[in-house]
Amino acid sequence: MKRPPPRGAGDLQRQRARHHACGECARAGARLSLIAILLICGVGTTDGPLRAANEPARAASDAMHVAEGTARAPGDAMPGTEDSQWTMPAKNFAATRYSGLAEITAQNARSLRPLWTFSTGVLGGHEGQPLVVKNTMYVVTPWPNVLYAFDLAKEGYPLRWKYRPDVSQNSIGVACCDSVNRGAFYAEGKIIYNLLDGHTVAVDADSGREVWKTKIAEVADGETTTIAPLVVKDRVIVGAAGGEFGIYGWVKALSLKDGQILWTAHNIGPDAGMLVHADTFKPPYDSGADLGARSWANDSWKVGGAPVWGWMAFDPELDLIYYGTGNPAPYNPEQRVGDNKWSSSVLARRPEDGALVWAYQFTPHDNWDYDSTGAMILADLTVAGKPTKALVHFDKNGFAYTLDRATGRLLVAAPFATVNWAKSVDLASGRPVLEPAKQTGASKGNVKGICPSLEGGVSPASPAAYSPRTHLFYTSTNNLCMDYATWSASHLKGTPFVGVDSPYLAGPGGNLGSFIAWDAATGRKVWENKEAYPTWSGALVTAGDVAFYGTLDGWFKSIDAKTGKVLSKFKVGSGVVGNPITYRGADGKQYVAVYAGFGGDWALLSGDTRSDDPADVRAPADYLRDIGRHTSQGGIVWIFGLQ
Amino acid sequence: MTPIYRERGATLTVWVLSCVMLAACEREHAAPSQQHAESTPPAIRYEAHLEAGDLAPAGGALQNPHAGEAAAANRGQQLFTAMNCDGCHGGAGAGWVGPRLSDGRWRYGGADDEIFNSIYYGRPRGMPAFGGALGPEGVWALVSYIKSLPVPQQIATESWEKP
Repeated sequence: MKRPPPRGAGDLQRQRARHHACGECARAGARLSLIAILLICGVGTTDGPLRAANEPARAASDAMHVAEGTARAPGDAMPGTEDSQWTMPAKNFAATRYSGLAEITAQNARSLRPLWTFSTGVLGGHEGQPLVVKNTMYVVTPWPNVLYAFDLAKEGYPLRWKYRPDVSQNSIGVACCDSVNRGAFYAEGKIIYNLLDGHTVAVDADSGREVWKTKIAEVADGETTTIAPLVVKDRVIVGAAGGEFGIYGWVKALSLKDGQILWTAHNIGPDAGMLVHADTFKPPYDSGADLGARSWANDSWKVGGAPVWGWMAFDPELDLIYYGTGNPAPYNPEQRVGDNKWSSSVLARRPEDGALVWAYQFTPHDNWDYDSTGAMILADLTVAGKPTKALVHFDKNGFAYTLDRATGRLLVAAPFATVNWAKSVDLASGRPVLEPAKQTGASKGNVKGICPSLEGGVSPASPAAYSPRTHLFYTSTNNLCMDYATWSASHLKGTPFVGVDSPYLAGPGGNLGSFIAWDAATGRKVWENKEAYPTWSGALVTAGDVAFYGTLDGWFKSIDAKTGKVLSKFKVGSGVVGNPITYRGADGKQYVAVYAGFGGDWALLSGDTRSDDPADVRAPADYLRDIGRHTSQGGIVWIFGLQ
Repeated sequence: MTPIYRERGATLTVWVLSCVMLAACEREHAAPSQQHAESTPPAIRYEAHLEAGDLAPAGGALQNPHAGEAAAANRGQQLFTAMNCDGCHGGAGAGWVGPRLSDGRWRYGGADDEIFNSIYYGRPRGMPAFGGALGPEGVWALVSYIKSLPVPQQIATESWEKP
């Protein structure tokens, strides 16, 4: 993730003054880093890969092609294929956030009205999305991670129960960028989600009683758990955030039945810890042993970050899970010379034993905090005339990538936002063609005007959607650039391992964000709705050819998926950083639900968007001076329907 | 080769110096770590605490040995970066995941000894205890720096109306 301190004009001056004095600080930092390294003991413990019988993947090509309006009985269908429900974060394993429901159309969406709201009582940024299973809506809040279960079959949708776990408040300060939670996953009668303080819980979906709780991460080491789990067969896949604390990034698989940790796979470091086997790991552009260690000078991978806090996908035919990794640590790249594999990358693993099958690095030697934790969307496209099993990803670095998801080979890469750190991406080598003037480092001083900013061309917390009807992808974007001054950072356990001043600047064009439609087969923007502020919500698209998204200044919009024309909009009480969903209610009608709840990044929480703490009053950020005029914190669940 | 590994010798020097400073400080002041063996508890309190029966609890009072000294504030400014304080509280304490330190407002009190306690022992919601890593002398330097940050005159009202 990210995280430059937000600054007002006065603060900027002070910060510059500090930077000039930083030769001294940097040396002090270097002295302290050894202390910190000595304190890190036991990193890299890896559970051995589970050697179980290799269960054949359930053939289910329809997981990629959601049948329109043909709801099948729960239990019969591949999870996520039944349109009346929303049982997993991204709707289906392919992570398309596409629903076959078609009652709401471009013709009638102007009649969408808010029908019900509920205050979650929590102020943190409400990323993620509700689930709807068997006429119950499940809502997970940011810390303290309350789980609400609403009875959608009764008037007013009263609570069936709520589950209130005991979550350490220390985790709030270790979560780099607000105490968010990206949602739950329903599987075999359980609601499974992560608590911020490094635990995964399974709660009985009917009774609300805790079934199991497993400690997966260590807050004292800088790990927090904001990611929504992915449940594949009998495996619960989880990861941890902590790219700003120099963690040794990983994913783990837990038993769905009892929460036991079955395997742990690191994203960086030697092959053994990464569950790389020489005979089965086939990266498309690299070869050799221990790539995750040899691409980091001086064993810097040991505090190299590469966390997992975004979105995961699964292809049942190829039997591969896909996820992106976050930034390498620290932000000064001169402390970690090399490509820093596999930070800022996409990895494909076998769910059964975690074995790495391929990996592709979007941003080698990332020196701009360009995490690749955004959604990996699986779609069957026609690329250059050939039917292709594709993986599509909108990266923080501003390029949209279309890969062959069986091999990881790059097919299309084109900028969807303003990009100047690289000129292009070379399809033959898979590597970016760098712009020398925009490379950063402690010896390079303050590098000015880099695009995108480290908030990304899109926030990884804002997943895109794909419609197999329009063959288009839909995503929010940010139009921000930055200056980047970094210094030698000290790794001191329990504190951030960052070392950057990176004030943001407005990108060209007068708008700070947008919502776009993208043709991933050709790498072409089809249309763009400009937004005044950075746009941070996820996307939803339906078989009614309607797309939905929200804005930071608190509008929730329905638009024509073919043209982008706004069909309806409503001010939902707080900025939207959550992801809309749709489902069929107990009355058989189609509804749309979304969270309002500004936050998810402390750069957003400047100005007076915060009102809860009289001892913390901040100046507005230079680039976003009046967002506080339009929104404040506070979580609200909204349900919309035709009326 | 990164600076991390080059400065091995210097690291040990810092630790030795810290120990010397700690010992010196303990002679001059009642350092909190010394008080565990005594019957009077340490002075973790702040001015906004309510007092039952209007009676303040007994406790040692701490004085900043370098109050108002520019050299101490400068050293504190360096520590503010070196100890990654800015990683949470922002450059110049402008606020980030941790609260702003330059608004003249304090969750746990803004007197020197109250800020000392916040840094030395840590606070809930993720503020680590730095007393172990820095010792009293380093924490006092940070207190001196934080107290030197300029506080804007107008903080309570933000208006978007044209005057």
